[in-house]
Amino acid sequence: MKKSEVLQLPSMPLQSPTFPRGPFRFFKRQYLIIGYRTDPDAIREALPEPLEPEGDEVSLQWLDLPDGEGFGAYSAAAQVIPCRFQGKSCNFITQMYVDNTSPLAGGREIWGYPMKHGLAKLDTASDTLTGTLRYAGVTTATGTMTYKHTALAEAVDRESALLGKTQVTLKIIPGVDGRPEIAQLIGIRFTDVQIIGAWTGQARLELHPSVNCTLADLPVRGVTSGLHMVTHMTLPYGELLHDYLA
Amino acid sequence: MKVDQILALPSMPAACPSYPLGPYRFVNREYMIITYETDHELLRQAVPEPLEPNPEGHVLYEWIRMPDSSGFGDYTESGVVIPCLFEDQPINFTAQMYLDDEPPISAGREIWGFPKKFAYPKIAVNSDTLTGTLHYAGELVAMGTMAYKHQVSPGGPEALAKSMTKTQCNLKIIPNFDGRPKICQLVAYNLTEINIHGSWLSPARLQLIPHVNAPVADLPIRKVLGGKHFIGDLTLPHGRVLFDYLKDQKP
Repeated sequence: MKKSEVLQLPSMPLQSPTFPRGPFRFFKRQYLIIGYRTDPDAIREALPEPLEPEGDEVSLQWLDLPDGEGFGAYSAAAQVIPCRFQGKSCNFITQMYVDNTSPLAGGREIWGYPMKHGLAKLDTASDTLTGTLRYAGVTTATGTMTYKHTALAEAVDRESALLGKTQVTLKIIPGVDGRPEIAQLIGIRFTDVQIIGAWTGQARLELHPSVNCTLADLPVRGVTSGLHMVTHMTLPYGELLHDYLA
Repeated sequence: MKVDQILALPSMPAACPSYPLGPYRFVNREYMIITYETDHELLRQAVPEPLEPNPEGHVLYEWIRMPDSSGFGDYTESGVVIPCLFEDQPINFTAQMYLDDEPPISAGREIWGFPKKFAYPKIAVNSDTLTGTLHYAGELVAMGTMAYKHQVSPGGPEALAKSMTKTQCNLKIIPNFDGRPKICQLVAYNLTEINIHGSWLSPARLQLIPHVNAPVADLPIRKVLGGKHFIGDLTLPHGRVLFDYLKDQKP
């Protein structure tokens, strides 16, 4: 392969790039979002400077992604910390678990989504919307929500506001010597968001301590909300918010 | 989290990094490598310039069992390695790698540019046969079999350990947040502290099945030349940049 062709590759490996170029459109992307109160000191510890905490609520989210351009079908779980960057509200993605290499490698390498391989599952089990996460053979999170109890126009607005917020990730890529070559805060704004349905309801959440899947390091002090929604949306490239090496 | 803590992180996520800082020590690492001859033109296409593929048209198809790897744990790997020349010196280029453990996938891709994807490789001793299989996205894409320890390899552990110090390299590509290439390099490394427990040569057979996202069969098998089976301990240190496509590119 010629040098000029090498520079056109979207990703490794040369013979079958793991992910193509973006943007990436998602169809029927389903969310279970459980909001909960946690320890403010733990939030402060988990948020990279210059992000500032905003209250004591965080969320655990399950995503079912049956149809993602370039990525295929997969499931994910994420822990999200609402925070502030230069006075503006945004969502810091602190941990994410997926069961598919394309979005895992693409997520880490393009935007710095903090993804590891875990088996997340979002299922309608009888009358319950159930999210589970297994990491290295053990269950590390279980969330349950009542099934479509309350569909509110207000909920749709709330979802739009939530998906309209800038997501922030801490992208770290080492150089060949192991020291950081990229250390940046990246901002991501979904585009062309269509809400197909959104519901609120009662929810419960259990997080199990695990050293390589540390969701329980932001302990559950009380569940504050349950949200269920189905959307179409586009994940575009990101923007640089802060460069730690500049 | 403070800036100095952020810059001391070995990897993402900050809350529980995927992998620690290297070097990485592997104990009881078991290899099964089947060498075959392929099509010269296709081999040329699979090798990035300025590397030159070996004139014999040889390809190494590998399975590696890694039960005890510092920072990474217990996993298995399978993939394609192409002997090449860089500035007339022999070097092995890793073309494809498939494994069943995320930290070495992320560390492999992000530090050295190992072209790794998640899949299910397996090595097993089944009755009289050393058998390697690779399943990708639910389908069998490779199966190799080797007769079990028929002949101790000539030169013994010393010769094999010496051969394993051969320089190896990968094509590391990391995009920028806007999709443009941020890192595009050939990265070289040499294994160190190699201690071979045993090595054998035996007859082998190999089958590669076409699959679009695990295209091991894109370098078709013209002739199987033989199998090598060995077990040892080794250290994988950090790498060095051999060629930088964004900086060393000549017009």
